[in-house]
Amino acid sequence: MTADRREPVKAAAIATGSTPGGPAAPVPSGHGTAPTSRLGGGQLIFRLIRQREAGIVGVGALLFIIFSVLSHGDFDSLENWGGISSGAAELGLVTVGVSLLMICGEFDLSVGANFSFAALVMATMIQDHYPALEALLVDLAIGAGIGLLNGLVTVFLNIPSFITTLGTFFLWTGVTLIVTGGETVTILPPAPLMLSVLGGTLTGQIRTEVLWWLGIAAVAGLVLHRTVTGNWFYAVGGKRSAAVEAGVPVTRTRILAFMICGVLAAFAGAVQLGHLGSMSASFGTTYQLEAIAAAVVGGTALMGGRGSMLGAVVGTVILEMLDSGLILSGVSPYWYESVVGVIVILAVAMYTGLGRLTRGGE
Amino acid sequence: MTAPDGAAGAGTAAMTTETPWFEARGVGKQFGGVVALDGIDLTFRAGEIVGLIGDNGSGKSTFVKIASGVHQPGRGSIAIAGKQVRFRTAADARRAGIETVHQDLGLVDSMSIVRNFFLGAEVRKGPFLNLRHMRRETVKMLDEIGLGNLRDLGQDVSRLSGGERQAISIGRAVAFEKKMLILDEPTSALSIAETDKVFEFIRRAKERGLAVVCVMHNLAQVRDVADRFVVFWHGKKVADLVNAGQSERELAQYILEGKLVEMGIEQSELDTGTLRKLAES
Repeated sequence: MTADRREPVKAAAIATGSTPGGPAAPVPSGHGTAPTSRLGGGQLIFRLIRQREAGIVGVGALLFIIFSVLSHGDFDSLENWGGISSGAAELGLVTVGVSLLMICGEFDLSVGANFSFAALVMATMIQDHYPALEALLVDLAIGAGIGLLNGLVTVFLNIPSFITTLGTFFLWTGVTLIVTGGETVTILPPAPLMLSVLGGTLTGQIRTEVLWWLGIAAVAGLVLHRTVTGNWFYAVGGKRSAAVEAGVPVTRTRILAFMICGVLAAFAGAVQLGHLGSMSASFGTTYQLEAIAAAVVGGTALMGGRGSMLGAVVGTVILEMLDSGLILSGVSPYWYESVVGVIVILAVAMYTGLGRLTRGGE
Repeated sequence: MTAPDGAAGAGTAAMTTETPWFEARGVGKQFGGVVALDGIDLTFRAGEIVGLIGDNGSGKSTFVKIASGVHQPGRGSIAIAGKQVRFRTAADARRAGIETVHQDLGLVDSMSIVRNFFLGAEVRKGPFLNLRHMRRETVKMLDEIGLGNLRDLGQDVSRLSGGERQAISIGRAVAFEKKMLILDEPTSALSIAETDKVFEFIRRAKERGLAVVCVMHNLAQVRDVADRFVVFWHGKKVADLVNAGQSERELAQYILEGKLVEMGIEQSELDTGTLRKLAES
């Protein structure tokens, strides 16, 4: 330390370049020179464990093996995975949006209502011979609008998003029921090509919605991990006050996250409409909780700031694997909800435990 | 720390005739009917560490919030490098070159060191983050500030010690070539060893030509680091003096003096008993 030889300081002498060699060259202190290797073996393992997804990928693999054995090979058949993947795609698209929003520190319980409402409007438009592309754009616009409304109410009325979107869930469910009278809207053949593009058969057991899901998850992952906007999602969800202090446009970022979540929920609805050729107010109702469960199983922190798209995808696959794996293993499908509940709790316990391990206690 | 004699650095505060970098003129602020600040004239110069001290409710935090753009002054004005400015938001103050490190440090625990370092000032390459460049710059800056041992820059900030976190906040201000650094109670949560390290970082920031303002409660510590003391009492500046090795007691007396004026007690009437009572009141 050079504290005992301090020189008078010239005002406004603002050192630019690097300090060493300057008038008051600081002597490097001991701790600046210590370590030689960048990563020891132990640190490498820590680094691996720190990837929150590592554990859940392992759990997924374990479930896969268990179900394959219990079902005597039915579970890992191509037919079954065709079903799992298309179910996962529709839930997965919702989960991508919900995860992204949760990383930003917010919830959306209205995604299921958004899903049905937007897709019903789209179905009705196609029935009324509007161009399918136009109907899809309206579907997406409705999703964005619902997300925007959720965001504006949450941000400007300063209401927790859990409450805002609980409210808008009921609101849009109600509107959907009023408009459709609870009827299922079915698109009569010939269905426009657009619907096959959204949710048709691609080849054999693989459906187009799987490509939409994985493609969008990949793009979302890229945005989240490699762009400024994604960085801001993590910052706003991790510690909003710090993001404000750092000059992050927090309000805009939060509202954007709500809108992305809304658009993806509506898109998932469009995809399911493409898949089934019909839509009803009841189709999406379980999605909000399943999507949050999938996000949490995939490692998204309930209070924001942590999570990934890999986790969102794996979490969704695990939920869908449970759904089909239980049935194929001869277990009553009524067990599904209970098992999901247990898995959610175990997953959170695992992440909490891992966090404590890698941070050396809190 | 190698400055056991309290007089280290005494009298070296920059006393030049040049325009001070930051100047508050008659700054006042009221909240409802309560006067939080009253006619504060205060300057901060480049390459100077100022210890801003005073009791709870003396107006220190209000002043810091005005200087960092969180609050707007009710009366008076602020000039940066001789030019009058008006900060409407914290972002305005940052753009003008004032970085404030709040007690909660403004770091996002769940993000890596690199990402925290560049939060709000991310470097892009096309549409993407230029993480390689950001990592390189962070390494450079941490080396300079003496935190070169933090090699695993991908680790969450939550895994760092209080002193390391403080250092990253200070390093961030230095790296982005801010002109003034306001530290709100930088050592309140730190061990003695860590406090020494943080003081080292603060001095390096000063060596880099920043004006540094340390808001501190701990009079013993502020004596070790400040070139100049500014004492607030009840929203007024009651003392502004070069660090000439004043004792803690002397400083405490300045803090109390405001109280005496308020209560109409003459300095000469003062004895230790009264002082203690006042301190406790």
